[in-house]
Amino acid sequence: MRVDPDDAPDGTLERVIAELRRPMRLDPALDQRVLEVLRRDPIAPGPGIDSRARRFRARWIAGVATGALAAGLLVAVLRPEPGTTRPIELRLSAPASQVVVVGDFNDWDPDATPLRPGNEGGTWRVELRLPPGRYRYTFLVDGRRWVPDPAEPRAADDDFGAPTSVLTVS
Amino acid sequence: MQFDRRKSSLSSVDGPPGEGRRAADRPPSPMPTSSLSHVARASGLSTVSETDAALVTRARDGDLGAFATLMSRYRDTLGRYAFHMLGSREDAEEAVQDSFVRAHRALADCRQPERFGAWLFTIMVNRCRTAQRRLFHRRRHTEDLRDDVAATGDTSASIEWREEIARALAELRPHYREAFLLRYVEGLDYAEMARLTGAREPTLRMRVKRAGDRLRLLLRDVHAG
Repeated sequence: MRVDPDDAPDGTLERVIAELRRPMRLDPALDQRVLEVLRRDPIAPGPGIDSRARRFRARWIAGVATGALAAGLLVAVLRPEPGTTRPIELRLSAPASQVVVVGDFNDWDPDATPLRPGNEGGTWRVELRLPPGRYRYTFLVDGRRWVPDPAEPRAADDDFGAPTSVLTVS
Repeated sequence: MQFDRRKSSLSSVDGPPGEGRRAADRPPSPMPTSSLSHVARASGLSTVSETDAALVTRARDGDLGAFATLMSRYRDTLGRYAFHMLGSREDAEEAVQDSFVRAHRALADCRQPERFGAWLFTIMVNRCRTAQRRLFHRRRHTEDLRDDVAATGDTSASIEWREEIARALAELRPHYREAFLLRYVEGLDYAEMARLTGAREPTLRMRVKRAGDRLRLLLRDVHAG
């Protein structure tokens, strides 16, 4: 999904970027320090070392994963109804061909949580299950228009310049 | 960013830069293509024309001189990225040093030596992510910028502008700062950013856009020096 058909920076950002692209001068002795480390600790960069390390890491990860799985199963058996999430329905009435919600609960990923059009014309909705907490979010309409949720309070400071709502799940 | 010295961008391994992609997928403006060759010339190295792949091969055979040449090609690019990510010259230099050591020890795992720069940058990005968690709010960008005044002869207005940018950059969440720097400062396209960060392209587009929106908002009343 495209967020913006053309993300070419405007005047302010162009000046920011020009500044950030200025060359960075590192300590001229840095390379020598690296070479000293490599001379002192001459691990031959030949084949095998990292493969062995990777195999060891893979075995270690497999062991940890197995343990975690067993622990997870145990917890699930002991606590079949943890009740840590609440069903939430978000709605937005807007003429649009596509509506998604982005927020703290989906890492602001525009592909993660699309709304589906409801039976009533123009009303979009999605059901979520969220653990208790406070979430900032906003709707993205047709990939380019930010729309706050009219059913929830606005955040005091709109996040990243986009109008943002706050949802509290108790 | 010219990771592959024979070509103009990371994505060029799969074809000419931007070929077959939308215009907006290409880096907004190319990095100064002469930067790396300039560094190599300035260092007086005799291996200026040697490809990264050839140097990697020699370095794997234990030639530290070859690895030194590779370092000279990428140190400044890595340093700039680390400085903007971590906010301190000291932390940036430590990250660069550590990345080079890690890269040398893992050279056998560099499966595409002609893309050594991209591989090295992946190590750098991961190193910065780790450092970010450790450093948290310990950003000292402003002090380091002040230290540069005498060295660069910049006017106080331009120093103030740089400080404002540093402050605004520091306010971004690390993932947004990372995406913004990779896209606009290092000039990567989204496909390459996705390979490098492990995030999906739509997510990266969103992060870049929101980072830009946020920076624009924070800097709207500040004028460039």
